[in-house]
Amino acid sequence: MTRSPETTQNLGARLRASWLDLALGALGAGLPVFLWWIGSHTTTFVPPIGEVIRAIPDFVTGEDIWPDVLVTIERVAGSLAIALILGFAAAYVMHRGGLWGRVVDRYVGLMLGVPSTIAALLALYVFKRSEVGVYFVVSIITFPFVALTLLQGLRSADRRLDEMGDVYRLSTPQRLRHVAVPHLVPYTFAAVRNEYAHAWKVVVLAELFAVNSGMGARFARAFDRFRIVDAMLWLIIFMIILLGTEYLLLLPSERRVLRWRGSGMEGNR
Amino acid sequence: MTTEQVVSLRQITGGRLQRFQAFTVASLLALAVWQLATLISDGWVPSLWRIMEALGEDASTASIYTDMWITLRRIFVTFAAATSIGIGLGVAMGLNRRVMAFFRPIVVMGLAVPDVVYIIVAILVLGTEESSGLIAMVLALIPFVVNIVVGGVGARDPGLDEMSAVYRLRRLRYLVDVVGWQVSPSLIVATRTCFAFAWKLIVLVEALSQPRGIGAQIYYSFRLLRPDHMIARALLFIVVLRLVEAIIFAPVEKRFLGWMR
Amino acid sequence: MTHSGEYIRVRDLDVSYDGITPAVSALSMDVAEGEFAAVLGPSGCGKSTLLHAISGVVQPQSGTIEIAGLPVGAGRGDDSVPIGYVFQEHRLLPWRTVAQNIAIVLRAAGVADDDVDPRIDHYLEMLHISKFRNTWPLRLSGGQRQRVSIARALAIQPAVVLMDEPFSTLDEVTARVMRQQLADLWQRSNQTIVFVTHSIREALFLAGRIFILTQGPARLFDTIEVSVPRPRRYEDPRLTELEAQIVEHVMDEWGYGANSGEEPRE
Repeated sequence: MTRSPETTQNLGARLRASWLDLALGALGAGLPVFLWWIGSHTTTFVPPIGEVIRAIPDFVTGEDIWPDVLVTIERVAGSLAIALILGFAAAYVMHRGGLWGRVVDRYVGLMLGVPSTIAALLALYVFKRSEVGVYFVVSIITFPFVALTLLQGLRSADRRLDEMGDVYRLSTPQRLRHVAVPHLVPYTFAAVRNEYAHAWKVVVLAELFAVNSGMGARFARAFDRFRIVDAMLWLIIFMIILLGTEYLLLLPSERRVLRWRGSGMEGNR
Repeated sequence: MTTEQVVSLRQITGGRLQRFQAFTVASLLALAVWQLATLISDGWVPSLWRIMEALGEDASTASIYTDMWITLRRIFVTFAAATSIGIGLGVAMGLNRRVMAFFRPIVVMGLAVPDVVYIIVAILVLGTEESSGLIAMVLALIPFVVNIVVGGVGARDPGLDEMSAVYRLRRLRYLVDVVGWQVSPSLIVATRTCFAFAWKLIVLVEALSQPRGIGAQIYYSFRLLRPDHMIARALLFIVVLRLVEAIIFAPVEKRFLGWMR
Repeated sequence: MTHSGEYIRVRDLDVSYDGITPAVSALSMDVAEGEFAAVLGPSGCGKSTLLHAISGVVQPQSGTIEIAGLPVGAGRGDDSVPIGYVFQEHRLLPWRTVAQNIAIVLRAAGVADDDVDPRIDHYLEMLHISKFRNTWPLRLSGGQRQRVSIARALAIQPAVVLMDEPFSTLDEVTARVMRQQLADLWQRSNQTIVFVTHSIREALFLAGRIFILTQGPARLFDTIEVSVPRPRRYEDPRLTELEAQIVEHVMDEWGYGANSGEEPRE
């Protein structure tokens, strides 16, 4: 074999390509920061980046933000759990079809189109300024999406069941355990991952209108008092928590559980 | 994004009669639950009767149609801007690795920012003019469109790409005849999603920053503690949106997805 | 027929998709003008990669490929030779009719507008699919689609037609009819064809010369002249005999040798 020079050359080319991708990605991520920098230099109302960055340590170590952060996390997790249960139930009924399947399908279709703002305002009337209202809004807005993802899973599990069950003559419990459940797991993960981000966004809105605690309420306060620096700080914290949990917690655990499948679920992102 | 499945999955099965049956059951059940809620909430949840009354009242006021028109116009402007930018960017990202590498982090961040924050920041930075809310909306919508389109472009058949390369199709031919047609289902999903989200967002923008428009009217009724009107106005506008969808989207969809059936 | 020409000239070809694992390695071969050459190799050995490289879709790591004295893939401009390609799957645009599919590649090949329709008619006739002129590909059978694909490849009147196991997805009867027609077609046209296959019988039936490749990464293992006169019959005992000889010959090289102890794999 006398081709080692080329091989190293090619390896070098590949490394260069991936470095280029990384550099471009960093550049892309830097673009909003750059725009901010321009904004702060050309206008008076955009705070300089330095000011916001300098404010971060105080902001993060201050005790006053964490109760709000925690309460929001709690709400996201709680309403997501409710949305999952509702979504499972809805998907199951829709999958069974018949009159009730179509009825639920109607509701899911209707819920998909409800603006979170209207849901939040309505919740205020029904639940007043109580905690329940936030859970209600977030789960009612996110559950139709969960239901549709799981419905897709059920339908494709069906196809698998037909293929495999016939060949191996599995009994019904065996089918469920070995075919249906493993098949639904990736769809459940997809639903959780997609709706996790969605839930964060809705919770902020619900808190903005419906309660006085949580990150959304703090956003509202910053907005009311015209404090851009505060709004920016909350946005940064928000993004760090959301993207951090998504990429460091949800994605790795999904990969771990689904490693037997080889590749990720195509077309679901 | 899960919204992609909205169009592909929600195929209402059954014949006309069964669908009508389901619709009737669903409506009656919803009305019954609503009435129950009215009873147990001491009148905070308006009764069906009051909503009907408010509906009749609102539908006969001329100004509500002005508001609807204002909102519709805003939806269309943001929808047009977000879909054209989003589709262009999505196709470019799907076809070019470098463009993808550059914009991917921005799209990921863009998807993570709550809609409220786009609007609040836009108002804080740009002021309460109409344009600042609309810019915020476009910025909030683009990542969704991009995400769906990138998925569609990425899922194209590599075999047809090879074929195009072997037979040296010109760039434009390739874009229209090979990529375009394969991506068209996801373009339709993207436009539909964008339209649906535009409606969800405009309510928020108008509630937070605008004196006119249906969202402003909804928020106005809310502040005056008139939930009956709030619901009536939302319902009226939903009807209008459904009409728009049926008149504009359905025929376009039929035209472009015909070859698959 | 003599194969002195070097119409397609492949020298020391190295191809790798990821830059690390080679798919084709140090491969050299020549194909004469008007020759029907088969490339035979075990599944997954890199036969298709070789065609990719010859068509210019994939850039080789090193080595050269020339067709009619022109380097392939260098500029990929209009100056390099036109190549027809028949893929394993039809690779037609499903949203375009049969005629439109051919018209698109004809226009890309720079055929004048006035000549497009007559050309389409001519080649559809040649492949006995004239009546499907305005049909969508998805409404055709597998064999009919592959005919369209062949018509498309021939219609641009290419310097060479590359075929990548074009009949492997068809049922056996259709495949036989198609092979027979392809053999007839070639005899009439003397079009240069490089035909990739893993079927020894198919190669023997169609080709004047067979290039046998090794297991992947593909190198040239041997070249065999098929001197059975045309027209050939698929069941010709001489082909059966040659087939047995070739099987014997490649056994070791394709990984089923006495000492390799490997299970046959597909």
